Amino acid sequence: MSLFGAFNISASGIDAAQTWINTTAGNIANANDVAPVSGKAYQAQTPVYTPTTSLPDGSGDGVAVAGIDLGDSTGIVESDPTSPLANSQGLVRVPDVSMGQQLVNLVQAQNDYQANTAALERAKTAYQAALTLGQ
Amino acid sequence: MDQILNVLQFALDGLSQQQQVVANNLANADTPGFTAQQVNFESSLQQALASPNGGQATVTVTDSPDAPGSNGNNVDTGNQLVAADQTTLQYQTTVEMLNAQYRLIQGAAGGSFS
Repeated sequence: MSLFGAFNISASGIDAAQTWINTTAGNIANANDVAPVSGKAYQAQTPVYTPTTSLPDGSGDGVAVAGIDLGDSTGIVESDPTSPLANSQGLVRVPDVSMGQQLVNLVQAQNDYQANTAALERAKTAYQAALTLGQ
Repeated sequence: MDQILNVLQFALDGLSQQQQVVANNLANADTPGFTAQQVNFESSLQQALASPNGGQATVTVTDSPDAPGSNGNNVDTGNQLVAADQTTLQYQTTVEMLNAQYRLIQGAAGGSFS
């Protein structure tokens, strides 16, 4: 537990939420990507959150993004004969990104971001009070 | 007078730790399998104050017993936000009380009481 430790913990939460918002934005932007049937469809990205602990007392120290989980590259094969990427049968591969799921994730990530900001604000108020000690 | 200062300082330490635990719970509000933690120092302090020979108060951090959701996470964001507010107000109150004690000492030592 460091001095003003709550700041860094909340900052790690804000960072993690920001990563989630970014990957979600990327997923939505690429939802209509088209790939040839022989290739891979766009893979939806989801950050993997993991708690971090500070040594030596093992107390919670915030959250970290351990990696980015990639979705299915099979996607959906659909017919689009006018696409320049279509094969001889007029088929293309498109990503299996659920717009509903992405928008729900976006709301959740935004809530995360706001909750961490609120905690940061409260910590700041408390620490400011501590600075008035003896005045 | 000395005891009051010690009690208030201990309370500040406990509240500071509570602030960090709440911040950590909120940071991990969407981490799969994460178990929320809670801080208790009040009951230990009460016990120490009640014992006739004086006792040692400690700050304890325990896992929250709340039931986890589908992803194994049991952080209740609403509760934690309320706890963050509550901790801050308690912290401010305790600082105010410490300052009042300091003003008393200052006055008794011949300085100004305000």
